[in-house]
Amino acid sequence: MEGNTVREATLIASAGNEGATSSRITTKDSVFAGRSKRKLGRRSVKWLNAGVILPLLAGVLFLVLWEAQIFHKLFDLKKYQLPLPSAIAEAIRDNFSLLLSYTGYTLTEAVVGMLIGSAFGFLIALVATAWPRWGGGSLTLVAALNAVPIVALAPIMNLWFGDGIGSRAAIVTATTMAAMAINAYKGMVSVDPLALDLMHSYAAGKPAVFRYLRIQNSLPYVFTALKINATASMIGAIVGEFFFSSRGLGYLLSNSIKVAKMPLGWSCIVLAAIAGVIFYLVVERLEKVFIKWHSSQRASS
Amino acid sequence: MKGNSAFMRSRVLPLSVWLLGLLIVWEAGSWMLLHVAQTPLAQSKLPYVHEVAATLWKYSGTLVKEGGATFGNAGVGFLIGASAGVVLAVLMSLSKTIEQLAFPYAIASQMIPILGLAPIIYGIVRDEQVSRIIISGYITFFPVALNMLRGLRSVDLPALELMHSYAAKPWAVYWKLRFPAALPALFSGLKVAAPLAVTGAILVELMGAQHGIGVIMLRNLYYGPSHTYMFWSTVIVGALLGVASYGLMSLAERLIAPWQPEFRPKGGRR
Repeated sequence: MEGNTVREATLIASAGNEGATSSRITTKDSVFAGRSKRKLGRRSVKWLNAGVILPLLAGVLFLVLWEAQIFHKLFDLKKYQLPLPSAIAEAIRDNFSLLLSYTGYTLTEAVVGMLIGSAFGFLIALVATAWPRWGGGSLTLVAALNAVPIVALAPIMNLWFGDGIGSRAAIVTATTMAAMAINAYKGMVSVDPLALDLMHSYAAGKPAVFRYLRIQNSLPYVFTALKINATASMIGAIVGEFFFSSRGLGYLLSNSIKVAKMPLGWSCIVLAAIAGVIFYLVVERLEKVFIKWHSSQRASS
Repeated sequence: MKGNSAFMRSRVLPLSVWLLGLLIVWEAGSWMLLHVAQTPLAQSKLPYVHEVAATLWKYSGTLVKEGGATFGNAGVGFLIGASAGVVLAVLMSLSKTIEQLAFPYAIASQMIPILGLAPIIYGIVRDEQVSRIIISGYITFFPVALNMLRGLRSVDLPALELMHSYAAKPWAVYWKLRFPAALPALFSGLKVAAPLAVTGAILVELMGAQHGIGVIMLRNLYYGPSHTYMFWSTVIVGALLGVASYGLMSLAERLIAPWQPEFRPKGGRR
């Protein structure tokens, strides 16, 4: 069971990586193709297809169709049900300072919760690796916790931690623990058997094996988990705010839907998405720095 | 059978000890809160396990009915979303253009707090049934599509060349090579998506629906301390639904794609 979840986690993350790298490559392609485009008319079709322009056009087309109320006619929607992009942009502009402070609030909950949750998850992985027979049970428990719906956890955490920032941080903690525990465990377990043998031949104790081998080996997996958690923690924070909160994007979102201020609701989603992307990019940036440090360590030795 | 008993000893025994320990700590913690610390709302914060179990038993009929409603709704959305995800993945693997069109948005949509969209979708549709299905389907869609695409891509190159040398038709390549190769990845996606689909369904129920476990959960939460055991029972039922959906997918994986390393007796580890 643990193995499966790990694979899912890594698969998703690597799918993300793949998307990022492939788009980067195609960007370069399109630049090259763009230069020769004026000479060859036929090339321009390829250039159009080359990964960046087409999705961009599709996105713009989507927005234009939305703005032109094509979707409204298609699905028989009213403007107050699905506001136009221009109305959403206006709502963002009108409430910018409020939205910004709420985004900061939600992001704080997400970051704090994710850091605590990831730390716990890493500890669980350490225990599970050090005492596989009995510690492994904790891993299964934490995987079961992962399957518990956030909406069931949220009211309990509110009872425990009040309606301040603590309860949302606790919700995020609970939702981010499993991914970290399972990934870090995978990283600590899947060390090179030869390296393990070498450590044994040096009569290295358990702490030394952890210090020099297992923790190092788990770092890439840890960052995969952090990237998964970066997106999951935003969801946890927002869903937590649906229940009892007086601040934050989730609170504003559910409130503005209740009073039928749909453009404001949509602007919450837009800002939440932007905040989530920034959070993810920061983690990815940190990963680059760390992996660089990691490989340079290896190169020098 | 010898391997089976070893499995029982190495896996099941520690896990049951853990569970038992957790229950004891829970019961003791509840007693501590109620009698030693005398916290206000002690039973709401951490109720006695035996009381919750009694409530679960007493109201099992209602809970099963409402839980079943939630599970069924999540299931319908899950099936629709999963099929759409598989279709999109196949289309993306067939056509570079479709992939370039859809993949960036698929990745970007992973960044959008999908569950945050739930009230908006509910606001648009104003119909609990439809919005529940939409949200469950939407949540299911992307993990399944991304994993399936990865699986379709991850076929053995020599096998592909062999098929090519046999002059296999494209549908034969898909049917005999790519689909079987994609099954493990597909199930990874399904196992991520299944508990999320349940979460989505409950979320819609919380926002105002007639049936489902989320409705009872919210109702009992607002009725206050006298309904605390019922509230905790609904939480447990919700948790069980999530775990069950994951377990169901794992079981299906074992039945449909049983050749994977972790299903071997040694769990893929040597």
